[in-house]
Amino acid sequence: MNIHAVLEALQNSAVAGIVTGSTTDSDVLFPIIETVHVLALATVFGSIVMVDLRLLGISSRGSRVSRLSAEVLPWTWTAFVLAAISGSLMFVGKATTYWNNPQFELKFLGMFLAGVNMLAFHFGIYRRVSDWDCALPAPRAARLAGALSIGLWVAVIFMGRWVGFTT
Amino acid sequence: MFRQLADDIAASSISNTVQNALWVVPASQSVHILGVSLLFTSAMMINLRLLGIGARGRSVSSLVETLAPWMWRALLVCFVTGTIQTIAEPVRQFITPIYWWKLLLIVTMALLTVWLFRTVRHNSALWDSVERPPVARVFAVVSSLAWITVIVFGRFIAYVWAYYK
Repeated sequence: MNIHAVLEALQNSAVAGIVTGSTTDSDVLFPIIETVHVLALATVFGSIVMVDLRLLGISSRGSRVSRLSAEVLPWTWTAFVLAAISGSLMFVGKATTYWNNPQFELKFLGMFLAGVNMLAFHFGIYRRVSDWDCALPAPRAARLAGALSIGLWVAVIFMGRWVGFTT
Repeated sequence: MFRQLADDIAASSISNTVQNALWVVPASQSVHILGVSLLFTSAMMINLRLLGIGARGRSVSSLVETLAPWMWRALLVCFVTGTIQTIAEPVRQFITPIYWWKLLLIVTMALLTVWLFRTVRHNSALWDSVERPPVARVFAVVSSLAWITVIVFGRFIAYVWAYYK
């Protein structure tokens, strides 16, 4: 079964019919799902940027990096799960369209790179965070991770918004 | 009244310039979302702290000190990009009641937030203690609901405006 058969099946599924309203004759669900997506992504981006700005020494300079991360990241992940669920529902409704959309592909490339950056940070310099928890400036690797994270997530948001104009 | 104003703006050269440059509205909306994210997350962090649910490692006053400048910068970004979007599509915005409710909520919340920040700065010892005034919880609940409603209304303008045409 190739990918296009899968996409077609998704798009013709009962879930897709409910999301787009084609089988329920109601067009209110899609805007609701989109609004949940906006609330979730706002929380993901806002909370990640708070940690990034601390790594860059621009904000929260009085907070320990480990403490700030522990306070903020559970909200980030909760919101990320919400964004992934709402995003998947939106995807199912127009699976073949999104799959062939260049902005959609760039958005996921951006999220992939942001994920790689996060893993490199977490299993790299962050393992020795106790050595630089209060340090200003933070080590170069940590500042680089913060800057890359902001840049990549800004790009993801631009691409995500652009998808809405090109599909 | 607003309909006439909307038509006048729509016919203006600045509106036409923005409408004809196809990248302006998506780019402005993207920056608007960045501003919304910072404003919303900062507001929610303070609210959760006031409710005793989140950010318990920091005092209320130090959290306000950290986040207040970012909230006002984010609000300014939202105002500038929102103005661009209104100039580009004035009719859509002005004929939709939730656009006006959204603006009213934002102005109300901005004023309430100024009040909160002043109160916290002037009585930081009290607000950082567990005996902080009960109004803290009221503010946190009202603020959370108001900002969520602002985002919901913002997203829904695009979907409901056609009903008012």
